[in-house]
Amino acid sequence: MSIGKILALDKVATFFNIIRQNGGIRASLYKLYRQDELKDGVLVGEDKYGNKYYENPRFFYGRNRWVEYSDNYNMNYDGSQIPAEWFGWMHYKTDLPPHQDPSRPHYKWMSDFTENLSGTTGQYTPYSTTRPKVEAWVPKPKTSQ
Amino acid sequence: MTTRQAIQVGTKTVKPLLSLNSVEARKRVLNLYKAWYRQVPHIVKDYDIPKSEEQCREKLKELFLKNKDVTDIRVVDMLVIKGQMELKETVKLWKQKGHIMSYFKPTEEPKPKDFLSKFFSGNE
Amino acid sequence: MLRQPLTRAIALSSPSRVAPLGARRYADAVPAQPEKVEVFIDDKPVYVPPGTTVLQAAAQVGVEIPRFCYHERLAVAGNCRMCLVEVEKSPKPVAACAMPVMKGMRVKTDSDLTKKAREGVMEFLLVNHPLDCPICDQGGECDLQDQSMAFGSDKSRFTDIHFSGKRAVEDKDVGPLIKTIMTRCIHCTRCIRFASEVAGVDDFGTTGRGSDMQVGTYVEKMFLSELSGNIIDLCPVGALTSKPYSFAARPWETRRIDSVDVLDPLGSNIVVTTRTNEVLRILPRTNEEINEEWLSDKSRFACDGLKRQRLVTPMLADSRGNLTPVEWEDAIVAAARAIQDCPPDKLLAVAGDLADAESLVALKDLVNRLGSENVYTERDFPLEGSGTDLRSSYLLNTKIANVEDADFVLLIGTNVRFEAPLLNARIRKAFIHKETDVAVIGPKIDLTYDYLHVGDSASVVKDLATGSSSHEVLKRLDAAKRPIVILGADQLKTQEGSALLAYTQELALRLQDKLQDKNWKVLNVLQRSAGAVAALDLGYRPGVATALAAQPRVVFLLGADGGVVTREQLPKDAFVIYQGHHGDVGASIADVVFAGAAYTEKRATYVNAEGRAQQTLPAVSPPGRARDDWKIIRALSEVVGERLPYNNLDEVRDRLGQISPALVSYGEVQDNNYFAQARALSKSLQKPVSGTLDVQLKQLEDFFMTDPISRASPTMAKCVQAVIKQKSSVY
Repeated sequence: MSIGKILALDKVATFFNIIRQNGGIRASLYKLYRQDELKDGVLVGEDKYGNKYYENPRFFYGRNRWVEYSDNYNMNYDGSQIPAEWFGWMHYKTDLPPHQDPSRPHYKWMSDFTENLSGTTGQYTPYSTTRPKVEAWVPKPKTSQ
Repeated sequence: MTTRQAIQVGTKTVKPLLSLNSVEARKRVLNLYKAWYRQVPHIVKDYDIPKSEEQCREKLKELFLKNKDVTDIRVVDMLVIKGQMELKETVKLWKQKGHIMSYFKPTEEPKPKDFLSKFFSGNE
Repeated sequence: MLRQPLTRAIALSSPSRVAPLGARRYADAVPAQPEKVEVFIDDKPVYVPPGTTVLQAAAQVGVEIPRFCYHERLAVAGNCRMCLVEVEKSPKPVAACAMPVMKGMRVKTDSDLTKKAREGVMEFLLVNHPLDCPICDQGGECDLQDQSMAFGSDKSRFTDIHFSGKRAVEDKDVGPLIKTIMTRCIHCTRCIRFASEVAGVDDFGTTGRGSDMQVGTYVEKMFLSELSGNIIDLCPVGALTSKPYSFAARPWETRRIDSVDVLDPLGSNIVVTTRTNEVLRILPRTNEEINEEWLSDKSRFACDGLKRQRLVTPMLADSRGNLTPVEWEDAIVAAARAIQDCPPDKLLAVAGDLADAESLVALKDLVNRLGSENVYTERDFPLEGSGTDLRSSYLLNTKIANVEDADFVLLIGTNVRFEAPLLNARIRKAFIHKETDVAVIGPKIDLTYDYLHVGDSASVVKDLATGSSSHEVLKRLDAAKRPIVILGADQLKTQEGSALLAYTQELALRLQDKLQDKNWKVLNVLQRSAGAVAALDLGYRPGVATALAAQPRVVFLLGADGGVVTREQLPKDAFVIYQGHHGDVGASIADVVFAGAAYTEKRATYVNAEGRAQQTLPAVSPPGRARDDWKIIRALSEVVGERLPYNNLDEVRDRLGQISPALVSYGEVQDNNYFAQARALSKSLQKPVSGTLDVQLKQLEDFFMTDPISRASPTMAKCVQAVIKQKSSVY
């Protein structure tokens, strides 16, 4: 065992490395505030919405792939904003990220990805399809005088 | 109905529940009242209800006075027994906060009485 | 034209079909009842007049003989053979519905021969009847179902499981009201007999014989009658069913509430069928004194109008004049403020056709308490002479049931067929069975029976009244033992209305004075709406035109949808309050709308054209935030500051009783008096008249949509379209 390891100097080095990689003290504090964690890793790819995908095998399985959501989302990020292409990589269904996987189909008719709209104005609300028993009278609007 | 039964019905004396006369019944009522009265500070503390001891005592008095016109000894005894059961449930913390608060009927809204308020509230 | 021999007329007035005694005081027109004969039904003796059929005699001892073709209000056909019974000393079973009783006849309705005959008939009927009860609308109220359970064989000999040989008949299209599934028809011919006898439309008939027999209209044609719906009730099987009600509900799922119809002035008794707070259909309820067991198509099928164009919430005009839904409190306060700011003489209340007596009395009391006398009806009526003070001047004094006993009917300016279809059915019944003759003054119209057309000029009435006419009618009227004169209330809105009424009174009273029967009333005025009589009884004044000329500032329209009050007649700043149940003419000119209840949704009093008070019962609850009408006015009165002294329906009815006991004596009708006084008061009004009499409802297509409910009804709109289409057809 080297002296550096015994004195945990490599941990200190990693710490500074993380801060450097995340763009300095100011940027690191902002990331810590936004994501509640600070990690170093390899940027695997970026999707068209601006989310960045990282990997670092130093962390244990399950924590070694992560996403940093696009700054556009600000604090309103959630898991449903990961598009379908990256879902498989994030969940260890595949090790090939979408841009490196030649077998993925790309058809014209594939619609654009949408996040979960629950709680927003675009959310789906169920409605009754039965006719009302009584149809109310709707007065004719008067022409503006 | 046979004659024997008729005589039985006519001369039947009711079996007392607890008390033999009204003096005894009154004593039981007062004892129950005192027991509740002493319990009031503990109720306020144990159940953490948003009522003061004075308010609780007032409610206690109100609930007892609700039955002030009951004269039948058997009915009085039965009410005392029920009161004791309630008291025991309260003391042993078998009840919850809501049960105690329900004595005060906090959510009850007065029903509209006159025609116009009934009409506007949709009851008429 | 169909006229029946007198024997049948006697059979038709036999004991089982005679109305309660009060209504048919004149039924003794047939002189001296012959001696009764004794017959034995299942060894039970019964005395019946000769000419009674075995079936009627059996009914008297409580023995029900199964039947399909026999109907007590129709002629006897005797073709279904279901009523076969064994008669002692008769070689074959006889048809009970057509067999008159004979002295000492012994009828066995429960013998082996009778049972076998019934089982045989039932088997033959079912051979060609489809087994589609699960999808048949008659299921649950089907005579064939019931009787095959009660009288049919216990086992089947039907082996044609591949369905190769059952008769199948093409369905007919007889209009938007009646759905036909002719394969189910068992050829009872009830519909044919109803059409030709009661409805007076000889369109139905049979073609072919044996198993090729078909009931139909010969050429594809709509059943052009205002009473067509009744053949749905008459049909013992599911061959004729209601088109608007098809596949809607089963009879055991529904609730039935007895009520009263308000779409014509007769107040026919009805049963409102509801399920899950929805009116599904309306059926007639037997009342011998009014509608027998019939119902007009408008009353029966306009019920889907109760679900359209409804006012479900109070509304208030916003700053741009658009009506927007508001809370009751806001609407009532806004109306009360307008009423409080208005001087009493500028306040006007107008009652419409469908207003009930309770809301009428509440509104009148409110307006009177505010110091105004301006309560008016939409319909016009002359105020000169006795005006509306004497009840006899605006009622059907003869009473509906007694019209059957008249021997001469004079109709002045009224199309009874469409203004009161069931009154017309009564006149037709008298015409067919009792040799009654009819004369008409007014436009030439189709009344379904022959009549003498006397002209359409009002001066004809004058000539008849003064006795100066040379027309044959005058002689006939003078000779008649029980004449009646029916004047249409629509004629009274013109300038000459008062003179016309005066002449009619003069004519009727002159005839009445000469009669042997001192109780017979000749004078009749046929109102047009269900609310008219109650309004006049309560002291509403006819003739809203004069009140409008006084430039009212606040107008309260109580269901006034007749288009009499328009925005153009009112001052610019006039405030219009509308209370009613449909968004129609009235609501569209209003500043405040109060949502009221329709006649199926409230317990309310209506007085029919003969002055009979009847009450409707709530079958469903008012939609949305709509309320009982009198309660709205009661609430308004309190906010205005003139609290009306009643808090519940009983107290309102006590008030009604104070004004007129006739308004709360439900189901009864009182005799009217003071004819002579009315005549004396009208003497001075007998001015020369020159106008012509015209009626509003001339054709069948005019009949269907006359009030807010039927105007909102899609079924009625379809009827109008279908009638117009049929009229343009070559057939």
